Amino acid sequence: MSDNHAESIVALLNVSKGFMRDKLEIPVLTNTTLHIPKGDFVAVMGPSGSGKSTLLNLCAGLDRPTTGKVIVNGQDLGELSEARLSKWRSENLGFIFQMYNLMPVLSAQENVELPLMLTPLSRAERRKHAEASLRIVGLSDRADHYPRQLSGGQEQRVAIARALANDPVLLLADEPTGNLDATSAQEVLDLLESLNEQFGVTIIMVTHDPKAARRAKRLLHLEKGSFVQADIEALETSLRGVAR
Amino acid sequence: MIPIKYNLRSLMARKIGSLMTIFGTGMVVWASIFAFGLYGGLEKTFNTSVSPLDVLILRQGSTSETASAVTEAAAREIMTFPGIATDDQGNVLAAPELVVISYISKRDGSGNANITVRGVLPNSRLLRDNFKIVAGDDFRPGVREAIVSRALSDRFQGLRIGEEFIVQDKPFKVVGYFESGGGTSESEVWTDQRVLAQVANRTGATSSVQLRAVSKDAQQQLIDRITADEQVALKAVTEEQYYSDLAEQSFFIKMIGQIIAFFLTLGAMFAVANTMYGAIASRAREIGTLRALGFGRFSILAAFLLESLVLCVLGALLGCAGALLLGEIRTGTMGGSFTEVVFSFNFGPDVLFKGALLAVVMGLIGGFAPALRAVRMKVVDALREV
Ligand SMILES: Nc1ncnc2c1ncn2[C@@H]1O[C@H](COP(=O)(O)OP(=O)(O)OP(=O)(O)O)[C@@H](O)[C@H]1O
Ligand SMILES: [Mg+2]
Repeated sequence: MSDNHAESIVALLNVSKGFMRDKLEIPVLTNTTLHIPKGDFVAVMGPSGSGKSTLLNLCAGLDRPTTGKVIVNGQDLGELSEARLSKWRSENLGFIFQMYNLMPVLSAQENVELPLMLTPLSRAERRKHAEASLRIVGLSDRADHYPRQLSGGQEQRVAIARALANDPVLLLADEPTGNLDATSAQEVLDLLESLNEQFGVTIIMVTHDPKAARRAKRLLHLEKGSFVQADIEALETSLRGVAR
Repeated sequence: MIPIKYNLRSLMARKIGSLMTIFGTGMVVWASIFAFGLYGGLEKTFNTSVSPLDVLILRQGSTSETASAVTEAAAREIMTFPGIATDDQGNVLAAPELVVISYISKRDGSGNANITVRGVLPNSRLLRDNFKIVAGDDFRPGVREAIVSRALSDRFQGLRIGEEFIVQDKPFKVVGYFESGGGTSESEVWTDQRVLAQVANRTGATSSVQLRAVSKDAQQQLIDRITADEQVALKAVTEEQYYSDLAEQSFFIKMIGQIIAFFLTLGAMFAVANTMYGAIASRAREIGTLRALGFGRFSILAAFLLESLVLCVLGALLGCAGALLLGEIRTGTMGGSFTEVVFSFNFGPDVLFKGALLAVVMGLIGGFAPALRAVRMKVVDALREV
């Protein structure tokens, strides 16, 4: 169990997580162990309410497990205080949301610069970083546009640029194509794929869309509180089955 | 730190709500500056130029000269009482004085005010320590001439040297300006007593008798003696007492002003809190996102406190501008006897500063609870908001 441990960018060790509702604990993850190696691109699927978003929240330290350990990039998140966690997040993670979650009052450029406000970078350096990020997502020409002036796909690409700005080791994406039409979804997935391949960014992507899942290197199925390594081939076969 | 432009633009995105809050706080600051300014003015007017040995004699039951009458006979008798001071030339430091109210228009057209026209005898001047003619001449006895407090001359029509004002349909000519050390006579017009009595049909009685005692003991004896005489039905009070009674009445007005200002401020705080609660509730997902990006609790608290502070500081600027626009540094208000008393209405830097400080306090207190809510939001819950 310990060999691949060192190379794991994410390690969940015997993690359980439940939520209290009316004094009853509703288990979401039960005694789960999971290793995600550096450079992986994992798709997480599973029925609604199975705990996919909860998994991402645990990896980001936005939520803490009931029991067990979450180790990301060598750091046991349970050891960090709330304040240290914030700082750690800004240095290690990139987040992509289903609803993009851009600040509506900030331009694309300013949105991308936002996480850089937490770094010691100078104003000029922040600008440069943000411009580079926008170039990667192909939106240099939209730097001055506000979110409402962008299409959904463009908004999501700005959000990806924002997630990239601080050079994260891990990208967490919660249904990044959930709100997009097929073409925009393709663009976003192309982008994620190339980030993974060219820059070696580890990506965990939650999705409901098998076509999106197929773009990942690995597929995890979350069911009844634990993960099952699913077979993308099998998924494709079943998809073809559906298509017929 | 979250960039300030995020908060400023968020305020602009909620134009109506922000503007209403700014106007609300602006009005409160404006009103409060008034209350503070009035406060300073009253204190100043009633605390100057009171001679500790002076006594004012009024009709029993009167709290001010305007509502008082002292018969000539009684006045003459009082002036013979022992214990009244005299000056180097042997003049008795006592004088019956007649007060008539004239309704005079303000120069700026903002209405009329009751001005005290005081009919004086030569001795009256001796009773005002700092009395001096600062421009023009003194009035001549027996003719309708008057001298005017310099403070009044610029504010009312007909009160400049060479101009005329009306008392009971008769014109009086202004021939000079006087000063008397910032006391209440600074808001008066002086003329010859006999002339005024004739014009106003007030012969046979004056409004009051003013006198100065030789000592504190003599002062008390004089007061006791006059008060004891039930036939003349007069009361005697020290000048200090008289003005402190007037000030007490004014204090009441001032208190009401302050209480209103206090509740207005409280109301404005709720308005600010309400605005900010609304802002924060509708931006839960943004707050959750900021936290997920790595902004700490303190950044969130600071950002939202700043936002409410900006609202209130803009309001304060508006309120201060409004107060200054009122233009005059010296503004009239009702004195205890509903005659115009000139207050040094102080919109000085200290008062403006108090108003601005109030706004900052308003912003911090009103904005604190909402900001705290933003801070305490659970990130995972905030991110689930739509
Ligand atoms: N903050 C919370 N408080 C209480 N219950 C929660 C909370 N977050 C999640 N849950 C519950 O935990 C379970 C898993 O939620 P989660 O959001 O992780 O599901 P999901 O797999 O992401 O679902 P979906 O596909 O609909 O996004 C659900 O039953 C949900 O109601
Ligand atoms: Mg989810």
